[in-house]
Amino acid sequence: MKKIAKYFVLLFSLAAALLPVYWLITISFKHEVDQFAVPPKWFWFTPTLEHYADAFVTRSFGQYLLNSLFVAFASTACAVVIGTLAAYALARFRLPANLDQRLALWILSTRMFPAIVTAVPLFVIMRDLRLVNTRLSLIVVYTGFNLPFVVWMMRGFFAEIPRDLEEAAMVDGDSRLGALRRVVLPLVTPGLAATAVFCLIVSWNEFLFGLVLTQTDAAMTLPVGIAGRVTQYGIKWGAMSAAAVVAMIPILAFAMSVQKYLVRGLSLGAVKG
Amino acid sequence: MSIALHRLTKSFGASRVVDDLSLQIDDGEFAVLLGPSGCGKTTTLRMIAGLESATSGDILIDGERVNDLPPQRRDVAMVFQSYALYPHMTVAENVAYPLRVRKIDRDQINQQVQRTAAMLEIKALLDRRPRDLSGGERQRVALARAIVRHPRAFLMDEPLSNLDAKLRLQMRAELKHLQQQLGTTTVYVTHDQAEAMTLGHRVAVMNQGKLQQFDAPLTIYNEPANRFVAGFVGSPTMNFLEGEIDLAGRRFVNSQFALPLSESHLDRFQRMGTKQVTMGMRPEHISVSLGEQSGWQPASVYVTELMGNETFVILEIDTTILVARAPGEFRAETGDRAWISFDLARAHWFDPAGRRI
Repeated sequence: MKKIAKYFVLLFSLAAALLPVYWLITISFKHEVDQFAVPPKWFWFTPTLEHYADAFVTRSFGQYLLNSLFVAFASTACAVVIGTLAAYALARFRLPANLDQRLALWILSTRMFPAIVTAVPLFVIMRDLRLVNTRLSLIVVYTGFNLPFVVWMMRGFFAEIPRDLEEAAMVDGDSRLGALRRVVLPLVTPGLAATAVFCLIVSWNEFLFGLVLTQTDAAMTLPVGIAGRVTQYGIKWGAMSAAAVVAMIPILAFAMSVQKYLVRGLSLGAVKG
Repeated sequence: MSIALHRLTKSFGASRVVDDLSLQIDDGEFAVLLGPSGCGKTTTLRMIAGLESATSGDILIDGERVNDLPPQRRDVAMVFQSYALYPHMTVAENVAYPLRVRKIDRDQINQQVQRTAAMLEIKALLDRRPRDLSGGERQRVALARAIVRHPRAFLMDEPLSNLDAKLRLQMRAELKHLQQQLGTTTVYVTHDQAEAMTLGHRVAVMNQGKLQQFDAPLTIYNEPANRFVAGFVGSPTMNFLEGEIDLAGRRFVNSQFALPLSESHLDRFQRMGTKQVTMGMRPEHISVSLGEQSGWQPASVYVTELMGNETFVILEIDTTILVARAPGEFRAETGDRAWISFDLARAHWFDPAGRRI
């Protein structure tokens, strides 16, 4: 009885999580007449690719997809590289007057207000820099947004690596950066992968700054583009669904490709028995 | 390759961890830094390695001042207490690491790794990872990584303290053999006096950041420079009796004892002018008898500790506790009457400041 209840709960939560996804995918393949038929057509409908053609051939979703990919990966790369170096410094060097602790808290404090607070000033700054409607503006903003997260995550991972290891590497003849690259970074790869996935998801899904800073096809990202299909003349459910299905794929693929790093417990046996 | 420390000092905030330390370690010497935890011995070693900066004073390697050189340019190898093996690399990659960062070509690296592995008998382990090795095997890999590139000196920070007792003795002998074979100058840090005595050509005893004595092991044992060294080296520890010199009576006296002094001792005490002294007596220089002996001091047995080859007899005289070393066959029960005698020619004398007289 208990077992049945357990499976029922599991099944229910699984359905709650996956049904919207299923609904989305089926809508993207349905003719418009089938999309909101009553009763709903769960399995049996005539599939069509017209919405995909509409979204990616007629409309500019292909461009939005490229923009999103470029912005998300570039900002993730910047945030991870800069944030990791900063985190390493904060984890390893003691500054006078506890400045390293204060600096870390100060970095975190930039996440302590709602994003909307910075939207208007950022727009003004970007306008004056002539960066509105460029992908660079989004890369800069997303990098800044993700940096505190990367710094705090990686600082924790670095703190768990025994100092002895990099000291040994340095006595063995390596420079500090060499020791970081050859000894420390390989040991924090799981953490690095997890951090990167999170940054990527945040950048990929970001809507507010995308909406404020981009209005043209040249820089607009997928979330903004999809929402833009809700117009005063009608809602293009098919095209929106098709774009949303495609939008799921890159993150899914990236998360799966780094999955092996996420579960590996590498630092076992590093020091002592 | 010689190492010289000249008036080396390290402060963390207000506390002086290493205080005005001067040492001259000769080429090929096995020098041991010995002291209780927190005495500054590990900090000293880390300063030689370049992992810690000196607050003042000089570190000279082969006469060259290296204070401002980063660790990678000092060409010394260090064995850490934790071994600090790189967990994501195989044993072979670990041993090859110091050569790899020096951009030596692959064939030569392989050759050197093989030769070193053969020397330390870890050839069978080369493809394994550190987490699959036992403590003793990790120790060997750490040593291999240190000797593979023929550094100017070895620095070892309590390398044996994570091994079990039996393995520790075995590795201790191997370590000594290895150092003699290679003839590389070695600085070895330990808090274990048995390691210090057996390994070192010379032992530097440190306490509270200060050098107490730097001498050959037997000199340290037989002529300790002060009361701290006398008490720290030797097991069981030296017995100390506080008392006064009675010049007229030619005796050392306190509430329990009145011991006759020789002419040469009296001379020294007379010149020094102090009356307050501490007498130090090693357990092996106290004789114990269960039968009454004329002129011997009565005592009662507090407890005995059987070691097999010898017996430690802990004695009580009023409130004073003394330890004596007796033959293995010595047997006594708690509370037994015993008579003891001191070999006064072997006594150590310290003034109120703890200095050897």
